[in-house]
Amino acid sequence: MKKAGAVAALTVSLLSGVYVAYAGQQMPMSFFVTSVSVGKGGDLGGLAGADAHCAMLAQAAGSTGKIWRAYLSTQARPGQPAVNARDRIGQGPWYNSKGQPISQNQAELHGDTLEMAQRGSDLYKQSALNEKGVVVNGVGDTPNMHDVLTGSQLDGRAYTDNMDHTCNNWTSSGMGSAQVGHSDRSGGGSTSWNSAHASRGCSQQDLVGTGGAGLFYCFAIN
Amino acid sequence: MKTSIVVGLTLSALLGSAFALAAPQSGPDPKMNYFVTSKGLGKGGNLGGIEGADRHCQALATAAGFGGKTWRAYLSTQARAGKPAINARDRIGKGPWYNYKGEVIARDLAHLHGDTLDVARLGNNITKLTNLTEKGEVVPGLNDGLNPRSREYAYMLEQTVSNRHETLTGSQPDGRAYPPGKDYTCNNWTSDEHGTSDNLRENKGANVQVGMSDRNGGGNGSWNSAHGTVGCSQQDLARTHGIGMYYCFASN
Repeated sequence: MKKAGAVAALTVSLLSGVYVAYAGQQMPMSFFVTSVSVGKGGDLGGLAGADAHCAMLAQAAGSTGKIWRAYLSTQARPGQPAVNARDRIGQGPWYNSKGQPISQNQAELHGDTLEMAQRGSDLYKQSALNEKGVVVNGVGDTPNMHDVLTGSQLDGRAYTDNMDHTCNNWTSSGMGSAQVGHSDRSGGGSTSWNSAHASRGCSQQDLVGTGGAGLFYCFAIN
Repeated sequence: MKTSIVVGLTLSALLGSAFALAAPQSGPDPKMNYFVTSKGLGKGGNLGGIEGADRHCQALATAAGFGGKTWRAYLSTQARAGKPAINARDRIGKGPWYNYKGEVIARDLAHLHGDTLDVARLGNNITKLTNLTEKGEVVPGLNDGLNPRSREYAYMLEQTVSNRHETLTGSQPDGRAYPPGKDYTCNNWTSDEHGTSDNLRENKGANVQVGMSDRNGGGNGSWNSAHGTVGCSQQDLARTHGIGMYYCFASN
């Protein structure tokens, strides 16, 4: 009886081991969706303000020793080159607040080859947790908060046209628009996590109006 | 005493009508030409060949009132001596495909499979909430009905709310068959044998490639090609949270 129990336990741990390669030595958090917004719509205080928001939330959740970057692009301005979200976040691998993998590297995260893009990464509703380990409300939940600010194209790079896709480089809470992804990878006819559609405007109400809350992704570069 | 019975009756009548009003859907959308099977065949990966799998699709569709269409299982077979491979994507018509609610799950084959990089990155419209059975049910997925027994087939039959997102396809992400050699199709949908290892990555025997109907878990969330199994028996499928469901498309 005891033996059978031990064998069963072993079998279960072997099976879970298939996905849970990190069992016993949980990887520290290097990815999260912000649990709260800055509160001023698309005005995040620029990239610096967004990064500070990431760092503040991570610290409050007990994360130490990590350098945090918001996954946001900015568009080129006279004398200021564009910044690509993907170039800000290190090389991975990244893990959520429960130590579960999000992506091994940039190529997997962004689907840089056709097969990678067809498969997708480990970023989905049940893994895209906030820094407190909670699943972010998505389609079917009340209120839906799945619209995540990115200002980015599907490949994680900044837009190069003359339209606003970044709420004026994350300084506007009125005019403009921000490109958003869906943290639950559902809705609007696609499953994109980082570039699903444009927001109606840049006020907090505009973001809420299409199923958002002004949340964004934070990645640790180390 | 009598009054309370009357009140109780009135309440239950009221509640009954409230539930009736709250019913999300009166029936399937007439456009439905796509569904996830509400149940498997019960013999693991042995579906009676691809023909048996098609018959199961047709029977479920007929029971739902859609027997007038020609239904095909989204399954590939691997090449054998004198028999070329069959690609799942070549069996299902051209689209667009609609679910039980009439929502478009993909416009065409290129959208369904992500044939170009941007289309693949954007993805199709297959999500947990659009991936409905022919009865309009959402298939329980990752973290649903967590229970120590949720990897046992008997339990999964008993408790229909537990995770059963692994969906048989035998296909690569592009919807095509695997080359001959390693088994990815439960011997072209005729085997319910156990694999050579209880570890997915070490199994060199009976095996089937599965997708995630809820697009969650499995290492990537692919709808049609996430990983293999530890074998082809009904219990083998259950061990990694499947019960032998698969996708059915009307090809006309």
